[in-house]
Amino acid sequence: MAPEPGAVPGRRWSGHRGLVLVVIVAAGLWAGFELDLDPRDLLPGEGGWAIARELFAHALSPALDYEDEVPEGTRPLLLKALEAARLTVIFAAAAISLSVVFGVLLGFAASTAWWIGDPAGGHGAGTVARRSVRPLIYGVARVVITLMRSVHELIWAVLLLAAFGLSQLSAVIAIAIPYSGTLAKVFSEMLDEAPRDSALALRAAGASPAQVFLFGLLPRALPDMTAYAFYRFECALRSSAVLGFFGYPTLGYFIAASFENLHYGEVWTYLYTLFVLVALADWWSGALRRRLVG
Amino acid sequence: MRSGSASFRLEKACVRYGSEAAVEEVDLEIEPGEVVGFVGPSGAGKTTLLRLLNGTLRPTSGKVLIGGDDLGSLPVRRLREVRSRIGMVHQDLSLIPNLRVLRNVLIGRLGRLSLLGSARLLFFPPRREVRRVHELLERVGIGEKLYERTDRLSGGQRQRVAIARALYQEPAALLPDEPISSLDPARSRDTMRLLIEVCREGGITLCASLHDLAAARDFLPRLVGLRGGRVVFDRPTTELDDDDFHNLYDLAPEEMLNDGP
Amino acid sequence: MSSHEADPRDAGRRDLEIRRLYRARPRSRFARWSGAALVLLVALAWSSSELRFGDYFSERRMANLERFLGELRPYPLQGKDFDLSVAASWAGEVLRGKGWAAAGVTLAMSVAAIVLAALGALALTLYAARTLASPEPYLPAPRPPSRARLWTWRAVVALSRALLIFVRSIPEYVWAFIFLAVLGPTAWPVVLALAVHNSGILGKLTAEVVENLDPEPLAALRGLGASRMQIAAAGLFPLILPRFLLYFFYRWETCVREATVLGMLGIVSLGYWIVDARARNHYDEMFFFVLIGAGIVLVGDLVSAVAREVIRRAA
Repeated sequence: MAPEPGAVPGRRWSGHRGLVLVVIVAAGLWAGFELDLDPRDLLPGEGGWAIARELFAHALSPALDYEDEVPEGTRPLLLKALEAARLTVIFAAAAISLSVVFGVLLGFAASTAWWIGDPAGGHGAGTVARRSVRPLIYGVARVVITLMRSVHELIWAVLLLAAFGLSQLSAVIAIAIPYSGTLAKVFSEMLDEAPRDSALALRAAGASPAQVFLFGLLPRALPDMTAYAFYRFECALRSSAVLGFFGYPTLGYFIAASFENLHYGEVWTYLYTLFVLVALADWWSGALRRRLVG
Repeated sequence: MRSGSASFRLEKACVRYGSEAAVEEVDLEIEPGEVVGFVGPSGAGKTTLLRLLNGTLRPTSGKVLIGGDDLGSLPVRRLREVRSRIGMVHQDLSLIPNLRVLRNVLIGRLGRLSLLGSARLLFFPPRREVRRVHELLERVGIGEKLYERTDRLSGGQRQRVAIARALYQEPAALLPDEPISSLDPARSRDTMRLLIEVCREGGITLCASLHDLAAARDFLPRLVGLRGGRVVFDRPTTELDDDDFHNLYDLAPEEMLNDGP
Repeated sequence: MSSHEADPRDAGRRDLEIRRLYRARPRSRFARWSGAALVLLVALAWSSSELRFGDYFSERRMANLERFLGELRPYPLQGKDFDLSVAASWAGEVLRGKGWAAAGVTLAMSVAAIVLAALGALALTLYAARTLASPEPYLPAPRPPSRARLWTWRAVVALSRALLIFVRSIPEYVWAFIFLAVLGPTAWPVVLALAVHNSGILGKLTAEVVENLDPEPLAALRGLGASRMQIAAAGLFPLILPRFLLYFFYRWETCVREATVLGMLGIVSLGYWIVDARARNHYDEMFFFVLIGAGIVLVGDLVSAVAREVIRRAA
């Protein structure tokens, strides 16, 4: 059936690999022409140079206080940055907590791990009905997940803004919708790929399907799921910061405002604040992953 | 079969996967409290036979009776009840590596609990049950490991966890599948001795599958030889001689070309 | 067997032993504290004064919602019965006028960006992977390297890693905002923003792959006298390619998503028309563009899934 293991797949692989690389290069060239990407445009105009110079001049000296006169009683710049960071974290944490709840529910529904068949079957009355309901739940969950995921959180933000008007809760919900979809998709994959041996052993010891799923399968996938949720928290911090560009008082708002007022030192203050937040979350999720997944 | 020990009866039981027969026309009678070994080369149908006995596999034809109940006619609920009284020790152990030993053992009892009851047992185990688990772990020689994470244990220790879990089921029968295939000789003998002792103490029926012939002859009083899904012999070990085993393990020329499953 | 707890004194002794084992149980303080910190964080978030559910479903907002949903209908159909042919001709008009072109631009931006990101990531990986970026990769030198060279390479690795973390911790949108101010309104700001952020992510992932490679064949190459670049080109690249392509397509999916929204900054992709339609209060058009965006994302996911399957099968 498979003479000389390795030789044939190797040749096939190099064929596919070549093809994939050629397609990528061709697609890149097409994109360049489609967009009129001219390398000469990478050199900024005179105004652009001025901005770039000013911006980079401040990279190592972020502002510690306002660069312009401010009215009496305004909070110090660093406190303002901290407050923006607090709101960024709050939006992200609230959004991720919603996403985990809905992601788990939808992820369970979209996983086929529920269906671990029982070859010894049974003479229950409900089995036929259950068998026809399962694919329905699965299908609906998949469609909902895809719809949630396929619209970007910023577009959700625009939609919610138009539908409900400005509200801090809209920001949280805008992040939570696509994040729930993504978490659900990844959770369902993790559940489906988790080792099944302990689940089968539970079934052999007389456990019901719900027990098999909750206590035999879920614990096998839980470390991976936790680590992934943490990683998404890091992403939510970035999304939350960017929502500032749409008027929410997170870090993005102040980055945009300082930039437009030509306060480049302040821009760096906020950028570094965001960098510290994300780097902290990155370190946290990495450390947790090493302990959980090993 | 509420408690005590289980009897098994197979009547012309067959299991086929497509056209391939894993178990062919097997007749077998096992008395309550008996100690029996299934021997034979890999692919002989030992694991399939065990899966018939613990009610996770339905015979393609023929009958499987456990303690007088015909598995083929049991409703799901009763089937689960029967399964909950049969302690299987799987070859891959099937433990959950990222849980503590205590929880892995507690899981053995779930077959007899409601969803809520099992959540309570696992997350807030009553003192009585923790004591019981500790007692069982001590019995199999790893009492110290009660709160250890299961993936930190050695292979031999993990196997003991799996045995303790099966015993925590308060089983009427214990079915270890190749319990010594991954252990060194000294540990193998230890494990065999332990299995037989705990079953004798509790009057539990023991059916072990083994491909290690020496261990089987040393420890098990009755052996069932399987080959190609059929029973080749079924006698007390004392009545078996070297020829019987030769016939069991000698590869026929056509079998040598197949790799077996 | 079931004679347990016959002696109460025995049970007491057992309880003591169990308590001792429980106290000595190995536990990860870090995981425990992380869990507690997370619960606290979420509780703080939901109890903060900024997030209020009650107000969200006030009458004013519900009325707003109702009006909004009504205006999602195609303009020629508002207040009338639904007519498929009218809706189709309206959609065709929007598509011909702006939709197709914007969709093409969005897709092209994502492709150009991920190709540039891949090149950037590969280049940075050479200096961020500890196994390769050392004075003597894979084989000990006949003479130990001088302290100066050792420290130079350590500094190079630290710097490349810091750069990777920095570029990926700043969101695409912020990069695009800055590039737009510097470079002016061509497609470059969006492409560069996506490329920079994603080269940070791809670079980190690739460096991990490189560090986890089996050093044996690469040491053999080094033994033959191959230079660092020769090792990278002849040994590393073929070895990491399958994994790299998997990551490439994963990140391309997110590039497609981001490219649809980065147009909001003023580059004529879908995002631009979405905010433009919203500014003109043409919610029907806005919604239609959102749907087109979702369609592109779906197509991207599908292409990526097929490509990844091909790679996985072949590997």
